[in-house]
Amino acid sequence: MMSTPITTGQGWLHRQRAGTKLAALAILGVILFLVHSLDVLVAALVIAAAILAHVSGGLTPALRLARPALISVLLFFAINLLVLPVPEAVAVFLRVTVLVLAAAIVTATTQLAEIVAVIDRLARPFERMGLMQRGDAGLAVGLCLRLIPDIRAQYSELVDAHRARGLKVRPWTIMAPLAIRVLMRADAIADAIDARGLRP
Amino acid sequence: MDIRFADCGVRFGERVALQPLNLRLEGRRVGIIGLNGSGKTTFARLMIGLTSPSTGSVSVNGVEIKSPSDGRAAGTGFVFQTPQSQLIMPVVREDILFGLKARGIVSREADACCAATLARLGAENLAGRRVHELSGGEVQLAAMASVLALEPRLVVFDEPTSQLDLKNRRIVVSAIEALDEDAIIVTHDLELAESLPRVLLFHEGRLEADGSARDAIDRYRRLAA
Repeated sequence: MMSTPITTGQGWLHRQRAGTKLAALAILGVILFLVHSLDVLVAALVIAAAILAHVSGGLTPALRLARPALISVLLFFAINLLVLPVPEAVAVFLRVTVLVLAAAIVTATTQLAEIVAVIDRLARPFERMGLMQRGDAGLAVGLCLRLIPDIRAQYSELVDAHRARGLKVRPWTIMAPLAIRVLMRADAIADAIDARGLRP
Repeated sequence: MDIRFADCGVRFGERVALQPLNLRLEGRRVGIIGLNGSGKTTFARLMIGLTSPSTGSVSVNGVEIKSPSDGRAAGTGFVFQTPQSQLIMPVVREDILFGLKARGIVSREADACCAATLARLGAENLAGRRVHELSGGEVQLAAMASVLALEPRLVVFDEPTSQLDLKNRRIVVSAIEALDEDAIIVTHDLELAESLPRVLLFHEGRLEADGSARDAIDRYRRLAA
């Protein structure tokens, strides 16, 4: 998932509708998986990186935007190298990286509210079937984007608390208090959703 | 404001969080003080319907409050003790717009309302900021904006200055003082309480004092000694 974007630009891509950009992203995904030429995939990667750098105002902010997803892609690539022939693993890596950069371009040029509105529209059939309430899908996406940095900050606080007390940082001594904190935060957020009437 | 508590009490299992009380709150500003665990927050949550009375009833502006939807129907907004939890969307503007959208206000009207609310708090610069990057004072102002955008008649603040440094405290207190809306302020900040015309003091789930700020604060100091 991309870092939370802040969209302020007024360029051509910014002016396109969120639904159009998300549909284009889906089509690109299909096309990329039909392409096997490494040359074409490298060219696509260069173009995607250049567009992302352009819309993000430089390479560093572009990398900052895509970094969380790129870390996962690198891990995925490392695993693929173990189980696939190298050219095939590289092709998969290039495809997924181009998609990640393209997704970053969409998030960098689209207001979150517009993305949420598209997701809400896509979720309407599920609402009609009674599987979810109006606005639930958008609320879920917003909450995910909102809480990822929060959970990261809580994790850092717990690590610091361990270090300050001279305790070794071990996953099992971090995960339990982190889970409790996250659940407490979830409780408070549920109250806020009720108080603000964010769910009908 | 017109808030009436009629024999209204709250129990959580065996624990009495709030002894049954009969009370009417009027005027534009009321403060609530008391030691930790004295029942202040329980009292405040009754007014928005986040806590239901175990006995009796509570009504706000003529609406009996049994659930958060009643609280909203009565025009009550609530600014939480941890405002970080109140902001749902990752960017301040998106969060305010999301609340407006949930009320059926969309597009240009919502954009204008969002901008006007932030401007009213002198917080226009927060519109495009990420929530997790805001300072304590900024996140408090953003939480206030998310509530005020919905045009409540009454705003309940739960310890609005408890996590703030002096500078941010001054900004938030000024914003609260400038509100046109009625406000109930739960606080440990005695300087803020002192400026309010009526202050309630809670102690061990009981309403211990109800009157001028000076009297309530004097009794609070004796209880805390």
